[in-house]
Amino acid sequence: MNTLKRVFESPAVLTLIHYRVVVILIATLFLSVSLVPGLTEFRTLSLSLDRTATLGVVAVGLTVVLLMGKLDLSVGSTLALSGIATIGLQDQLGPFGAAVAGIVVGVLAGVLNGFLVVTLQINSLVATLASMIFLRALCHFLTDSNPISGDDPLFGLTVSRALGGTFSLRTYVFLIAILLLFIWLTYTVAGRRLYAVGSNEHAATASGIRSNRYLFGAFVFSGFTAGAAGVMQSLATNTGSPAFGEATALTAIAAVVIGGTRLEGGRGSALGTLGGVLVLAAITTTLEYESVPTYYQNIVTGSILLLLILLDRIASNSPRSALSLNSLLSFGKRDETPTEKKQEGKVP
Amino acid sequence: MTQNADATVLAMKGITKTFPGVKALADVDLEVRTGEVHAIVGENGAGKSTLMKILAGVHPPDEGSVTIEGEQMWFNSPLEARRQGVGMVYQEINLVPDLTVAENISLGQLPSSAGFVNRLELHRTAARVLKELGTRLDPQEMVGRLSVSQQQLVEIAKVYASQPRIVVFDEPTSSLSEHEAKALFRVIERMRSNGIAIIYISHRLREVLDISDRVTVLRDGRIIDCRSTEGLTPPEMIRLMVGRDLDDVFPKRHVAIGNPVLEVAGLTRLGVFEDISLTVRAGEIVGLAGLVGAGRTEVARALFGLDRYDAGTIRLHDSEVRIRSPKTAVRAGIAYIPEDRKRDGVALSLSVKENISLPVLRQVARLGWLQRGAERRMTQQKAEELYVSPPAIDRKVATFSGGNQQKVVLAKWLASEPTVLILDEPTRGVDVGAKADIHTIIGELAASGVAIIMISSELPEILAVSDRVYVLHEGRLTAELDRSAADEESVMSAATGEAVAA
Amino acid sequence: MTSAATLPPRVTEEKTANKILGWIALPVGILALLVIGSLLSEQFFTTRNLTNVLINMSIVGIIVVGMTFVFIVRGLADLSVPAMVAIGALLTLSLQPSLGSLVGALVGILAASAAGLINGLFIGYFRLNPVITTLATGTIVLGIAQAAVGGVIVYGDDPALQSFLTGRIILGIPTIVLIFLAVAVGGHLLLSQTIFGRWVYAAGSNPDATKASAVPLNFTKAAAFWMTATLSGFSGVLLALTLQTARPGIGTGYEFDAITAVVVGGVSLLGGFGNVPRAIGGLLLVTLLSNIMVLNGIPTASQGLVMGALIAGAVALDVYLRRRGGAA
Repeated sequence: MNTLKRVFESPAVLTLIHYRVVVILIATLFLSVSLVPGLTEFRTLSLSLDRTATLGVVAVGLTVVLLMGKLDLSVGSTLALSGIATIGLQDQLGPFGAAVAGIVVGVLAGVLNGFLVVTLQINSLVATLASMIFLRALCHFLTDSNPISGDDPLFGLTVSRALGGTFSLRTYVFLIAILLLFIWLTYTVAGRRLYAVGSNEHAATASGIRSNRYLFGAFVFSGFTAGAAGVMQSLATNTGSPAFGEATALTAIAAVVIGGTRLEGGRGSALGTLGGVLVLAAITTTLEYESVPTYYQNIVTGSILLLLILLDRIASNSPRSALSLNSLLSFGKRDETPTEKKQEGKVP
Repeated sequence: MTQNADATVLAMKGITKTFPGVKALADVDLEVRTGEVHAIVGENGAGKSTLMKILAGVHPPDEGSVTIEGEQMWFNSPLEARRQGVGMVYQEINLVPDLTVAENISLGQLPSSAGFVNRLELHRTAARVLKELGTRLDPQEMVGRLSVSQQQLVEIAKVYASQPRIVVFDEPTSSLSEHEAKALFRVIERMRSNGIAIIYISHRLREVLDISDRVTVLRDGRIIDCRSTEGLTPPEMIRLMVGRDLDDVFPKRHVAIGNPVLEVAGLTRLGVFEDISLTVRAGEIVGLAGLVGAGRTEVARALFGLDRYDAGTIRLHDSEVRIRSPKTAVRAGIAYIPEDRKRDGVALSLSVKENISLPVLRQVARLGWLQRGAERRMTQQKAEELYVSPPAIDRKVATFSGGNQQKVVLAKWLASEPTVLILDEPTRGVDVGAKADIHTIIGELAASGVAIIMISSELPEILAVSDRVYVLHEGRLTAELDRSAADEESVMSAATGEAVAA
Repeated sequence: MTSAATLPPRVTEEKTANKILGWIALPVGILALLVIGSLLSEQFFTTRNLTNVLINMSIVGIIVVGMTFVFIVRGLADLSVPAMVAIGALLTLSLQPSLGSLVGALVGILAASAAGLINGLFIGYFRLNPVITTLATGTIVLGIAQAAVGGVIVYGDDPALQSFLTGRIILGIPTIVLIFLAVAVGGHLLLSQTIFGRWVYAAGSNPDATKASAVPLNFTKAAAFWMTATLSGFSGVLLALTLQTARPGIGTGYEFDAITAVVVGGVSLLGGFGNVPRAIGGLLLVTLLSNIMVLNGIPTASQGLVMGALIAGAVALDVYLRRRGGAA
């Protein structure tokens, strides 16, 4: 146990753990490039990015919710519902109007979640589980459980077609969303306050920040991005289906967490989420190219996720990295809580 | 900074505050002048914190007025008090660990244009504030990566950046080393020379004498004296702080003291306490005195296996034991009544019965199966023995008063029939009736041969109950006093490091 | 020592009305549904239909028992349930030809149980976040299960066992319902009558005080997750044996169904409160509601409109009562 501990406290290992997201990203990208011959070609790259874009946009919204220390399980249902609105309302509102309506649906779903979590004070896991079930049923109710198709299949193609021989519109939306998120979280007052609320709500409130507004806003934003993702997915396929996005919430959460965002809130970044999404994309592309069945992909993805949360735990216990919130708060009374002490001994 | 050195910044007049069952403050006057460091001293519970909480807008006073620079103030919230220029530096740190030093300093009002943080301005402000305070912290460092003393400097810088007129320091040095405390004093000196009025609360009398211009002594919620620090000596201050008649009579039963039960030698937890050696005999009550933060609770936690110890031996009934966890401690016959009742003592949503039987479930179970009748009888008996009122063992603990919750914690540990009982602040926040009950129980336990260690910040309580008193100062034993030799002055001077045991 | 008698007992009473409301809401709801169901459809109050309700309850009911422990111990939720159901089901049927149904079933349960040990280790001893940990282990376990059977639908061929499970053996009650009842009673006794059960409540109510009371906190938490995984695997085995077919997605949705039942039963996500009968009551309410809707022509897929509102309503009521009742 002691030798193991020494290994984990050596500077080299600590540095690797500290930059774990980058290390994993480089490793998977390296593996992908060496296994998939055409990946460095622009077209292949563009295609695999296009396929990840929808998930990526959802992950952008989830990053904000997770930064607040909350969860949103309803994003998949929101995605499906806004897709149905986007296709189903085309006759009444025209394709553009319907797309806007799709986004509005997403925002409304976010408002619903905000109401449940902030106003009614329901735990976010249960609240968004309820809205997930509710919104999914609404999808089935509206469509009679059958996928609906739009009138103009060409309209939607612009979303997934490569623009001027570069990336698809979807990909650009994702990349721009990451960029905007990066600017928002890093450079704006609202972004910095968001970290403050997620990291130490008590201190934030004591400094005059209205924490509940930020919490509510995070859910609305997550609804907005899920809505936008739903619009893109339904336009690209010219279909609104009640079955869309069934695995989206859990996959997107996995991507965000692989990107280094802490579920307890306060730590995470836009670039991390980009990294997390790219890791998942690289794994999918590589394993598909090698015709490895999906279930092996699941094993790899799950293992990477598990590895990263384990490393995160070790990192937050080691002296060189940031102190965990818990040990910080408990100072002044005593220097470590009993639970954390046990931790040191147990984590190899 | 040219300001009239004698101008009164803060005037608190006729402040009275009553909490249910306790008169915390009675007609207290306090005047603080520009550019002075005004110390407030007094025993634990003398009313210092309540007075400061009124100033900070946490509690409204029942009677009296608060005037700042001649203007009467009515604070409804801490935020409002801060906006009116009252800054508080508490012993607990309340910062955002995932933001930088600069961001924490300006958290309430990040400098911005069009919603974007003006980083230049942000860092300039932080650099200016940190420089004015004479510290060398990197404004871009994450707060979570700083040491505790550095975090405290950030806390001070944050208060300073809001351009306060008055800054209150509440026990700022209790978690700092001597060296770090010196750095803090330089910071305070700078703030004072910039024309800020400082209120300084500390148990460390040396510090108070070194740093303050005037001292106000509080005792039992009243002002005893307010005088210039010059010419004051520690013994004089101690006399002012403790010289009183005891309101409560603590009964002391005379018990035949037996053989040593617990013998601790050289117990050390690096950086927390060092070389603690003590002996407790059967039927003996040993007091562990010291100021808040002296390491009393930490020693107790180590003895009970809640924290590790790095060196030293523990002998129980003449055989050496190694305490690794609460489980081994309980098996060895040690019980610990924790200081933080809500955190470590009771499970509020469970019933009295379920709380009492928790550490001793095996006694009322057969093959892991609970014997309901036996459990009920055992817990009912304990609840009655300890005067839990009402003795309704099926009721949730959350519905009981603090004193009765404390009795539940006692009952829980007595059920394990310990031979060594460690009590950490057993009567804190407990009303007078329950307090007397708890003292009676402690006396009875000693009479039945249990070896007892009692930690209390209330000196009269320690003196009245203990057969012997060990005094801790900054993690070291500074005195071992017999009942006859222990009085308020001797304990207090050992606890403040004024007298060191030969 | 007389002072205790002279001082008035300072006790805060929970508001009686709130307390009663908290206790009777569930039975009243179930009764109301029985009445409404009978009024809306003639088929509802028939032995045949009510037996169907019981059969429908049984598979998810076994998981609900485990999930109740996870909730009470303050473990948030176990999202690896679908994977555990799938590994139990897939292994049972794929091993059936070579080893027979019973040995296959045993291997299936053991596999889920082993995966549950990993959940317990990570959550109980390493203190990882339960949500993300069970999400990850669920993904891995499901992948392994599929890889083990080649990722296809597995068919079984043991009609005798199938009819034994669904057939009415004792008092006209199907065997599978009896199995569920046995698990529920066992879970209830474990939680309410044993040392371990008491540890579960204490750990969920106040982990620090529990640890300070010399209770093995890590073990208790780990055991709750291990139990849930094992029971989910068992549930998967029964599901496979009654259907004699299993696809990899066989367990999808069971985690949310179980959470719904537990939450509707009023078991707190914050830990320390609830019991197995309550959770089963919640399950009964949800299953009856679903049955009534099916009998009245509302498709299963759209029932979530009501279920979602039910979950939110139940928890909101719980939060409201707790805040009002003054209990922490």
